[in-house]
Amino acid sequence: MSNLLEIQDLHAKLTGGREILKGITLNVAPGEVHAIMGPNGAGKSTLSSILAGKPGYEVTGGTVTYQGRDLLGLDADERAREGVFFAFQYPVEIPGVNNMYFLRASLNAVRRQRGESELDAAQFLKSVKEKLKFLEIKDDLLQRAVNVGFSGGEKKRNEIFQMAVLEPKLAILDEIDSGLDIDALRVVSNGVNRLRDPNRGMLIITHYQRLLDYIEPDFVHVLSDGKIVASGDKSLATELEKTGYANLSSAA
Amino acid sequence: MATTEEAAPFVQAFRLAQGIQGESALVTARRDAAMQNFAALGFPGRKQEAWRFTDLRPLTATPILPDSAPGIDLDETFIAPARLSVSSFRIVLVKGCVAPKLSCMTGLPDGVWMGSTAEAAQTRPDLLETAFDASDNAGAQPLASLNAAFFADGFIVAIGAGIVLETPIEIIHVTRSDSAVSWHTRNAIILGAGSQATVVESAIGSGPGWTNIVTSVDIGEGGKLRHAKVQNESIEAIHTALIRATVARSGRYEIFNLTLGARLSRQDMHIALAGESASFALNGAYLLRGTQEATIAPFVDHQAFGCKTNEVVKGVMDDRAHGVFLGMMAVRPGADQTNAHQLNRNLLLSREARVDTKPELEIFADDVKCSHGATVGSLDEAALFYLRSRGLDEETARHMLVEAFAAEVIDTADLGDAISSYLRRQLQAWLDGPKNGI
Repeated sequence: MSNLLEIQDLHAKLTGGREILKGITLNVAPGEVHAIMGPNGAGKSTLSSILAGKPGYEVTGGTVTYQGRDLLGLDADERAREGVFFAFQYPVEIPGVNNMYFLRASLNAVRRQRGESELDAAQFLKSVKEKLKFLEIKDDLLQRAVNVGFSGGEKKRNEIFQMAVLEPKLAILDEIDSGLDIDALRVVSNGVNRLRDPNRGMLIITHYQRLLDYIEPDFVHVLSDGKIVASGDKSLATELEKTGYANLSSAA
Repeated sequence: MATTEEAAPFVQAFRLAQGIQGESALVTARRDAAMQNFAALGFPGRKQEAWRFTDLRPLTATPILPDSAPGIDLDETFIAPARLSVSSFRIVLVKGCVAPKLSCMTGLPDGVWMGSTAEAAQTRPDLLETAFDASDNAGAQPLASLNAAFFADGFIVAIGAGIVLETPIEIIHVTRSDSAVSWHTRNAIILGAGSQATVVESAIGSGPGWTNIVTSVDIGEGGKLRHAKVQNESIEAIHTALIRATVARSGRYEIFNLTLGARLSRQDMHIALAGESASFALNGAYLLRGTQEATIAPFVDHQAFGCKTNEVVKGVMDDRAHGVFLGMMAVRPGADQTNAHQLNRNLLLSREARVDTKPELEIFADDVKCSHGATVGSLDEAALFYLRSRGLDEETARHMLVEAFAAEVIDTADLGDAISSYLRRQLQAWLDGPKNGI
């Protein structure tokens, strides 16, 4: 099967800054879960930001192709409507915007793109009921302002809930384990696992191996100083846990 | 006294003005004195601190004289956009005069008087009297003086003591004109001790006319008035309005003010918290685009012990629009235990948009809690990106953030479902885009 995402020799920097990504090549096929690990400063968040379309970065070389199209040529909202989902490490608080109103508008934008009919409030509620349940989200969370006053765990569950609702083809999960206690990590991971699908690819970016005990990746890549220095199956993560990043970086 | 050059055409027009049929000699005398006052003062100027930021040239460049043929009944459809979706008692003023066919005052409870200022001039001169203030004839409020000289009609609502009016009162000012003429309405809302009412006032219309409204509000002991005002005039129009209120002991006055329309507008409020534990709340927003210019100027005078004020006014300026917030809270000697807070927050959506904000305190008592603040910012880029990353296009995402910013004051005002949803609709209509060439 052809790849969902193809990253080819990607070079990038912060606008006006030094080069951070120094030639990344990575392919994600439908159904695959890839984990990208690496120490602080390796370029993990730069990579995820570029895939998400966050302003402030400049691609200096290489290509990113999503379903055969140039992903980098699409705005963030076009990417989302085309089926790319980005889970934020730090979900943004938006006072005054009702969570359900926002998510329904978002789902309807995606549905329009897919040629599906829009959902009214009642249809929306019905369609998300089960998803709320498996992410252990209380109904009242929908009635609150987006992420405002949410606990760390609630913010991350809300991210995965949004992913469950939007049903993307490609999900990029940026440090979804950061700031979570063990119970919250379990709920979030269970949520992600339920969303694994033969037609969906996932790219999980994490600093810690711990997350990969819950979400078992098909492939693990180690990012160091802007390059992938090692790739393997999930045993690579276990190995890293023992030896640390320092050894790998020096080996590269 | 000498007549200023810009006042001369008005003085001339005044000689021909008829006043209200059957008005008392006292009212006529007040008109004369007010005209003399305006003749001497002329229009407010930028040298006056309270008018320094407001560019009044659209008002003063050519004399906008009173409409010689005010008040024609319009079709229901003209007021439909301003109507509440619930049943109400209603006064519609077309070009400054009450239109009986569009108004609805049937079923008013005993103890409530509601009608036109012209009617009060004939049958209830005591009520009309409450619509005047000494400053009309001798004060430094030229626009109020001009109003006193020329008013053709207005609305008066008087609610006796102890009456809680559940049904809202709707006041709709609607104007139409092809030329620049002015309409002056003089109004009063009087609440007896312990009574409660909700008034929703809207101003809509088309054409380049000038609406100049003066409303006196008197709230008796323990009375409570909720007063929402939506200024949604045509983009060629000029709108000036003054609310003068006195709140007695333990009385409460809540104003919600939404400014969306008019080329040039100014809403003044002079609120006297005259009795112990009286309170005032102002929630409001001005949303401006194009070259719109709007000023919101609340002045709250804390005269007695233990009074409370809470003001939150938000501004959204796009294109080359200019907003002005002039908030003054004065605490008189002896008005101890005053608790007064004032906040003005602004969002600039373009580089050329402008806001002047001046929240001020003037405190002559020792034991008070007062605060004031102002912010000016632009849209939160992180929030914008978050919304876009979920598939919302830039315009939709921006609307959502602007709406959230402005709608907070609607939620805080807590006016009940019917009125809140009405206000949200007005806000939504503004967000949905330029209309009438804005």
